Amino acid sequence: MQIVKENPNVVGLAVNVLKKGGLVVFPCETTYGIAADATNLKAVKKLNSYKKRPIGKPYSIAVSNIKMAEKYVSLNSTARNIYKEFLPGPITVVSYGKHEAPTTSRSGYLLPTLRRERNPSEAKNSSLQSASSRSRCFAKGDKLAKGIESETGTLGVRISSYLLVNQIVKILGFPITATSANASYMKRPYRVSDILDNISEKQKSLIDLIINAGELPHNEPSTVIDTTLDDPVILRQGKIKFKDKNEVFSGSEENTQNIAKELFQKYENYLGKRPIIFALIGEMGSGKTQFTKGLGKVLGIKEEIVSPTFNFVLEYKKLTHIDAWRLQKPEELNTLGFLKMIEDKNMVIAIEWADRVINEIKNQREHALVVWVKIKYGKRGNERLISWGVI
Amino acid sequence: MKILAIDTSCDETAAAVTENTKIISNIIWSQASQHADFGGVMPSLAQRLHRERIDFVVNRALSTAHCSLSTDIDAIAVTIGPGLAIALEVGISKAKQLSQKYNRPIIPVNHIEGHLLSCFAQPRNYKLQIINYKFPMFGLVISGGNTQLIYIEKIGSYKVLAETVDDALGEALDKCARVLGLGYPGGAVLEKFARLGNAKKYVLPTPLVDDKIKNRFSYSGIKTAMFRLIEKEKPLTKEKICNLATSFQEVAFKHIENVLSYQLNHKQSLALRAQPLTINHFLLGGGVANNNLLRSKLRKLLKPYKITLHTPYSKKLCGDNAAMIGVCAYLKLKARNEKLRNYKNSDFLDRIPRMKF
Repeated sequence: MQIVKENPNVVGLAVNVLKKGGLVVFPCETTYGIAADATNLKAVKKLNSYKKRPIGKPYSIAVSNIKMAEKYVSLNSTARNIYKEFLPGPITVVSYGKHEAPTTSRSGYLLPTLRRERNPSEAKNSSLQSASSRSRCFAKGDKLAKGIESETGTLGVRISSYLLVNQIVKILGFPITATSANASYMKRPYRVSDILDNISEKQKSLIDLIINAGELPHNEPSTVIDTTLDDPVILRQGKIKFKDKNEVFSGSEENTQNIAKELFQKYENYLGKRPIIFALIGEMGSGKTQFTKGLGKVLGIKEEIVSPTFNFVLEYKKLTHIDAWRLQKPEELNTLGFLKMIEDKNMVIAIEWADRVINEIKNQREHALVVWVKIKYGKRGNERLISWGVI
Repeated sequence: MKILAIDTSCDETAAAVTENTKIISNIIWSQASQHADFGGVMPSLAQRLHRERIDFVVNRALSTAHCSLSTDIDAIAVTIGPGLAIALEVGISKAKQLSQKYNRPIIPVNHIEGHLLSCFAQPRNYKLQIINYKFPMFGLVISGGNTQLIYIEKIGSYKVLAETVDDALGEALDKCARVLGLGYPGGAVLEKFARLGNAKKYVLPTPLVDDKIKNRFSYSGIKTAMFRLIEKEKPLTKEKICNLATSFQEVAFKHIENVLSYQLNHKQSLALRAQPLTINHFLLGGGVANNNLLRSKLRKLLKPYKITLHTPYSKKLCGDNAAMIGVCAYLKLKARNEKLRNYKNSDFLDRIPRMKF
């Protein structure tokens, strides 16, 4: 691992490392990120073991301009508008990737084969085969490595406003992964030490180059907007807002946990000064316990976070998990020792069915930071809309 | 050996007197409250905190058993976890206070172990000596707060084979009853409605069917599916409620059966030696053990394996109670061949709200 201070010559160095399949930690307008050549499967696998990511979780990529983006994603009018208005900048735009649809002019001969095999049982085979055939007719850098796009074929793209990143991508000629340099559910990295202090020796050995730009301004991670659905939805709310309220979209339990992590990290710096209360409101089965599981993960709690409905309160090291569902009167929250709990300024308190104890929570807003989180059922299956506010 | 047992793990304030595995008295507040000498029921958490009613319940357990702490009782058993910390505290401090006053040893008991061994409890007039089932066996504790499948090598030596990652089964049933408008806690009412329903009417997804190694339970997915289904079916008629209740129970129990079958088929991995592992007995405990449909499903599942299902002898023993704590304390002592005097020092006795095996 090599650590160099940010300077004009570092671009060439980074490009060389990336070309060889190495991992580069770089500064940008949000947090420190970690880059791998997004078209190199080996490099992406290396990144996976560094990030300790579950298999199947996609990566966003950084490109240098809209033209380069269009090589990898199909942009609809919504996406195009966002690119025009906000990029380069701290926004990740999710579109459909082009992995399955090479243009006819380039690989027209592939299409009949694909068509013939289009029945569901063989779909997997066909995509494997087409991938291998495609690699023959694609120039290097045209095709992203497996695991970059999501399982549903969507892909997040960024164009960074941080000059260094853009230069690296431009010279490299193909996209790099744009993911934060911390391991999953670890501290947001604004300093190189934020990264190094929180990873194992083995993880350290996977990093080839660190470009150190000192402490970055504590900006939020990028806003992530998904343009593939009928209405564009926000997957992560950063500095740039698209709606008049804070609302993000969750498509799975894992997503909901991840959103909890993001929300915690937004307000993390209050800890120590005041405890943080996540007041959770949502119907049965909407994912309040899932949300708390995410808080547990980011707080490093190893035990399984389970529903506290029966027990009223489950206490972990830095997290107190309360369920107001079985309370018969709101005042009973205090009987459970709520007032005592918020004396601990380092405590994170998650309260399920907080709508049943609104006043009890509101009364404590001088002593605690209260984040109201509303989880609503979305249109289909596991879809949820999660909104929040601090009052 | 006569034991005064106390359990205040969550909702119920309970005390009992047991002699070996026989139950002499078994008092639970909800029942005790019907007696006029303690006024009406005051349903609030302050009441759930047991402080006001612990003395009454303990005295009642002693008087019903015609026992006195100074002459008849050999030891005190108390639940130290898992449960609600402030509730556990009440039982523990009461036990400590009595222990000091009457110079009696205190035996700490795990609430789940109490449920697990509740099948061994016998009525006071029971003629037989201790039931002598052959170990190892399997046990399943299913209640409002716990869902655990346990391998019992012998008493005191357990391995949790599967437990819930979100809701307990009893809690899921109660919540389902609530959204169907059947009140709370409605698990038992749900069962009644489910008897009248048609399970084929609605299909809910069975949880975690994709788990290769089935070592966990989860009820969050069917809660979500149920909520969406109910929204779609509104307004609910009685027929719909019955059908929905049936479908929910079916899938909730199917999940238990799937995990149990898997664990039975892989039981050999639990064997310490190369010999084949024979299991002939299965203990069922906890509030949901009262559900007749589940009992018959389990019996059917266990039959080909030549395993007998055992359930507590009364409904009262399934829900939270103190008699099971007394029986458990006795069985533990006996299994370890321990002397009561080892339990004289109670200073270090403390609650363990998230106690594990």
